[in-house]
Parts: sequence; C-alpha cells; structure tokens
Amino acid sequence: METERLIVLPGETIDPSLIPSHQKLPLRLGPGLRHIPPSDIVPTVAGQLITNPARNSMWIEYNSQRYIPSTSDLILATVTRATPDAYLCTLSPYTPPATLPTLSFEGATKKTRPILTPGALVYARVTLANRHMDPELECVSAATGKAEGLGPLAGPGCVFDVSLGFARRLLMARSREEGGVGVLEMLGGEEGAAGGGGLAFETAVGRNGRVWVGSESARTVVVVGRALQETDRAGLGIEGQRKLVKRLVREVR
Amino acid sequence: MTAATTTPEAAVGVLPRADGSAKYSHAGYTVTASVNGPIEAQRRDEHAYEAHVDVTVRPAAGVGATRERHLESILQSSLSQIILVKNFPRSVIQIVLQIEDSPENDYVNTKLVQASLNFAIMPALIQTAVLALLSAAVPMRATATATAVATVRQGGATKTIVDPSPREVETAQSVHVFAFTSHDELLLAESEGDFTVKEWDDSYETAKAICCRPEPTKEGIAMVLDDETTAGPDMRHFLRLAMETKVASDLYWK
Amino acid sequence: MPREAEPSLSERQFVLQALQENLRLDGRELDQYRPLELSFGDQYGVADVTFGRTRVLAKASAEVTVPYADRPLDGIFNIATELSPMASPAFEVNRPTETEILLSRLLEKTVRRSGALDTESLCLVAGQKCWSVRVDVHVLSHDGNLIDAACLAVVAALRHFRKPDTSIEGGVLTVYTAAEREAVPLSWLHSPFCVTWSFFGDEGETAVLDATRLEEQVRVASCTVSLNKHGEICQIAKLGGVPVDAVALLQCTAVALTKVKEFSELVDKKLAEDVKKRDKGGFMAELSAENER
Repeated sequence: METERLIVLPGETIDPSLIPSHQKLPLRLGPGLRHIPPSDIVPTVAGQLITNPARNSMWIEYNSQRYIPSTSDLILATVTRATPDAYLCTLSPYTPPATLPTLSFEGATKKTRPILTPGALVYARVTLANRHMDPELECVSAATGKAEGLGPLAGPGCVFDVSLGFARRLLMARSREEGGVGVLEMLGGEEGAAGGGGLAFETAVGRNGRVWVGSESARTVVVVGRALQETDRAGLGIEGQRKLVKRLVREVR
Repeated sequence: MTAATTTPEAAVGVLPRADGSAKYSHAGYTVTASVNGPIEAQRRDEHAYEAHVDVTVRPAAGVGATRERHLESILQSSLSQIILVKNFPRSVIQIVLQIEDSPENDYVNTKLVQASLNFAIMPALIQTAVLALLSAAVPMRATATATAVATVRQGGATKTIVDPSPREVETAQSVHVFAFTSHDELLLAESEGDFTVKEWDDSYETAKAICCRPEPTKEGIAMVLDDETTAGPDMRHFLRLAMETKVASDLYWK
Repeated sequence: MPREAEPSLSERQFVLQALQENLRLDGRELDQYRPLELSFGDQYGVADVTFGRTRVLAKASAEVTVPYADRPLDGIFNIATELSPMASPAFEVNRPTETEILLSRLLEKTVRRSGALDTESLCLVAGQKCWSVRVDVHVLSHDGNLIDAACLAVVAALRHFRKPDTSIEGGVLTVYTAAEREAVPLSWLHSPFCVTWSFFGDEGETAVLDATRLEEQVRVASCTVSLNKHGEICQIAKLGGVPVDAVALLQCTAVALTKVKEFSELVDKKLAEDVKKRDKGGFMAELSAENER
C-alpha cells in the first residue's frame, strides 16, 4: 500500500481540499456520493474515496452483492418470459424484470427476430436505468447496428456468481495491472510459459456479478469457474491466484 | 455477570448468500442480521415514492409475538430515517435480525417459550442492523449508534448504569434506549419505567457521551481525552473501526 | 413475495452434463460433503452448523409445564423450524413453504419419533408437571441440503443442552436456578443423523450427496435416510420424483452409514472440546463434585 486509504462512512464530511477542481471540466460524481445543494458532497456508502483530478471526477470504491442497474453497463441476463414485442429478463434474483425489445438484436426486423426460450442467457447492455421505471436492455449497438459481441449465449457453458466488485475488476481494460486479477490470463495462457494453464474457453462478464464461462470441455468450465469464485471469495492476490491456477490445472490432468 | 464491561465485537459479511450481513455481540447479546435489497416489493408493501424497509426480529427461542412486532415497528421507523429510501421507489429493503444469545439472569428461571424480549436488547438490534446495511452498501444518509442506560435509585441517590445486565434492568427504576445519527441528531429515544425529567436528562447526556464521542483528530488530543472520558465504550469509533476493516479487506487489490 | 430465482437453461444443462462426467461445479466428488463446521455458543444448547455456504443455528430450551392429558408420564418435546427471509427472500414469515414443511416433518421423524430423547425422563410429577423441551432451528444461510445440516444442528444442540436441576421433597417440586445448582444434561438415548441423496439423469442413475441449492433445483428425485452410528435406520423418505432402483438405494444406505459415523465422531469430538473449554484447569469440576456430596 503506497498511500494511506481514505475510508469514508455515510454522512461523513469530505475535506473540501480533497474535492478536485478543474478549470474547464464539470465535476463528475461517481457511485456512492450524493450532492446536497448548494455545495455539499456526502458519501452514502462505506468505502474508499477515490479522486481523479485529471478527469475532475470522484467516487467511492466499495464492494457489494446487489446489482443496481446503471446505463451502459454490460450485464448477463436470464430470459424469464416472452411478450409479443419484448423479452422480460432478470438481472439479479428477486428484482423486477428488465425488458429487452425483440427488435434490439442485430438484423432483427418484425418478421425475423431471434427466438429465445425462458431460461436463455443473453449478454446485453443496459439502455435505460431509472429509479421509477424497470430497466431496459439492448443486444445491438444503436450507433453501428452491429451486435459487437452482445446477444444470446448459446453453446455449452455455465454461469458463476461473483461479487460486483470482482466483476468490475474483470471488466477493467487492464484487469491484471489495475484490478489485480490475472486468473483468466493464467488459465488461458500457453502451457509451460509462466504458469499458463493452456485451457481453451471463452467468457462473458456481466456487471451484475455473473460470469459465463463457455468451453467444449465441461472440466475446463468447472476449473475456470472455481478459479474465479475462489479468487473472489478468498481475496487472492496475483501470487495466490498463480498458486490456485497451478493446483486446479494439476487436478484437471 | 460481568458482561456489561465487555467491549463490543462485530464481524461484517458473515452470511455468504445475503446482500449484506453482520454479527454483533455486546453486553452479553449476540445478534446476526441479514440485509437483502433493494428487491421487488409485494403489492401490499409497495410504495410509489420510496423503498419499504421491512424489519423482522426473531427471538433465539420461541416464536415472536407482540413484543417483537413492537420492536420491529420502532426499528423500522428509525432505520427508514437514515436509509435513503427515496432512491429506490417500489422496492423493499429486507432486514432480518436473528437473536442468537441474550444474557441470562442467573437468579431467575426464564420462561423461554413465551419469548419476551428484554428492552435492553434494542441497542444491539440497531447496531447490528446498521452494520448489516453498511455491509450491503445500501445508500444511507448517515450511520447510527445506540446504547441503553438504566437509572437505579439507591438510598436517595440516583445512579446511571450503561448497558445494564438483565439483573440490573430488573432492579432499575427506569431503562432508556437512545440512538444517535453520526450528525449527533437524536434518532430514537424509548423509555420504560418511572423517571423524572432530570433523570431522563442525565441518561440522555450519558448516552450521548457514548454514542457521539468526537473523533480524535490528532494523537496528542486523543491522549488528553482519554483521561477525561467517562466509562463506557466509544460506539462511533467502534463502528468506524469495524467498517474500516471490512472496506480494507474488500479492496485488498487496490 | 418475490419468487425463487430459477436457474438459467445453460446452468441446468451444464450441471447435468457435468454430473454425467462425474464432475460437480465446486470440484467435489459425488459422495463428498462440503467442508463441515460445528461450533457451540456460550450458552448451553446453542449449536451452529456450516456446510459450505449453508448455515444453520439450533437452540434448545426448556421450561416446566403441564403434561398432555393423554400422556401423563411423558414430557413434551418439540422442534420448531420456521424459515425466515434471512435464508432466502422467497421465504415469508408465517407462510410456510413446501421446503419448510418437509424439513420439519423429516426432523420430527428422525429425532422425535425415533426416541432419541427419553421423554419419560422429562416427567417431574405424573400428570401435573413435566419439562417441555424445545429446539428452534434458524436457517441463517441457505445453499442447499438444509435437512442434513438442520438435523446435525438439532442433535448437537440437544446433546450440548443442560436443563435446570430439580428436586422433589415431600411433594414439593423445586427448580434450581443456575446460581443455586449446576444444570444437568438431558437423558439422551441415541444420535440419529440425516443423509440426503439427490438423483440426476433420466432414470436417476447418478446419486449425489450434499447437493447445493443449484443442484437441488435441477435434481429429479431425492431420498433422505436417517440412521444412527449403529446402522439402525429411523426412516427413509423418498418423496416423489423419478423411481430409483432398489439396489441403488441399498448402496446409498451403506454409504450413508459411513457418513453418519463421521457426523457422530464430529459431534463427540466437538462436545469433548467444549467441555474442556468450559472447565479451565479442572477447578470447576472439583468444586461441583464437592457440592454433590
């Protein structure tokens, strides 16, 4: 740990000197903070205060289990029911359904549209998240009209539940350096080279704390899923992950 | 029983499948709480503009009755004040408080099947609920701390006892439960028994000293404060320590 | 109340496919239990049992009451299983689900009907006064196999429990408080445990022990065998689901016996550790021995 953590609890006052002030950019508040007009910024959750003066933003870093939809999040949803013009999906247990319009798929028209049965998995983006309305999803980029990796997840594979913080770390552009997760790289890496597992699999990570692991080999899916869950639950660092991967890969053979 | 002198203990995130959970023990009481939410509300609990806070109190032995329902309604209204309920309309935040242990009065054989909850358990319930809410990352306006104070009249003089044992509750003239938010606002004041305004004021000041002790800013000042402070644990500092540990372990990778 | 979340199709298919290859999602063998933990509370009669992510707390308590008119020589013994929303938001207070009813019936048959607790010893004055012993089962976290975990917790709690000592002199019944006389253990006859098998496949050909919640959601049948370490079977419950081959069931019972022996050892070991912990330096033991004389 290079710097002292600044941990805040709900309702505590944030030292004004910590609030970034930029010449041109407006101040952006991330999760866990609320603005009480005129000028108070107050945390609403317990976590670490992070500020980014370059982008004039601040937020609270914390981990949780319950997903609260937010626009443009990539999520893994389960279809529960079909209506004439939309599929109803669940993002997390016991929450109201999200709607996925049948036309929000690549190349979908009124005549040709994907048929999804209840229980099917889709990788989608949240397009509408509003406290007074049920969330809405899409499986196509509105700008390009292409799926860009979104859509139904078919093929053999399984879903594993992880904490929301861990899902976010997996989704970071440089997850190993910034998020401290390297399990997937290690498992998929060349055999023999730096502890690589040499396993062939694909993943889809949802911000709602669900990770889909697909592979022809059931054994591989189980190993990848266990590696993810154990890393998350035990809070393993890079070195711990390396040991875990080594142990799991040895079990496979 | 020397339970009253023990320091509070807490573990956060003890239940793997709940959104948030905490186990808290203090003064002989042990309570485990789970928080789930915001989740879909049932039609009868649905509120168009805010989240419904659903509190269930379950005694360790026996079935809950009127007394538990009464505690639930007090807790529900207090916790709704600190949770940002407006953020989640039409949903429910479910809090279940399971009592695991409560101090026994060694001199009386309690009737356990007719669970009658001790009034002095309230602070433990509030504290556990707040810890579990923090662990579930439910947005809140402020945190809260609570304590119980009993007043005992002995030969003309009145004595205040912090965190009374069941034996002390039995002999006390009155018992008071106070909860304060982290902004030093009075969140809850419940009293039982006969008392004068003066006694209530004294209890209030004692409770406030325990719940709202200012955060020592510098080491030097902390040293001086230690000499002056009255007996009893520093609840606010305790709450902060418990959460700091939790956040630090969650963000181990940072 | 919100309904229980259904597993997705791909989860269903995968669990079944993996089981055909003798694989489980958490890497266990088919007949392997999750890491098992048992601990006792500071008070007598509180047992906390953990099976992986399933956690059950049982608390035993006793009070003096009037026996039932038709059974004047017996005490009263009850097991209360009420599932709270703590286990899952789908459980509602005062509205029992099927899981809850099955759990309470199985515990009833296993522990109460098998005569594990000698109810006659709970009688104090025939037809007038007896002990009423009650065990409350609290499910704190539900990740499958509640039955086995709850049964273990109930048995452990009852064996750990101490009820206040009593005496009858000249027709006067005295119940001593903990300050006056050391409490006494219950008269315990044998320790039955539940072992639940889950069956998968079209004809239930794959049998699995200690199913997780996801596995419970996709299984085609289940069978709970209750027995003690001497191999005496208290009950077998196979409620609905696909039929299972009788020979396979015999095999299951044989494996169940080895598991029950392990449970039995675990409870004995933990009870012994607890006695040691409560009796630091053997001073209290000496003192109470003197008092008895």
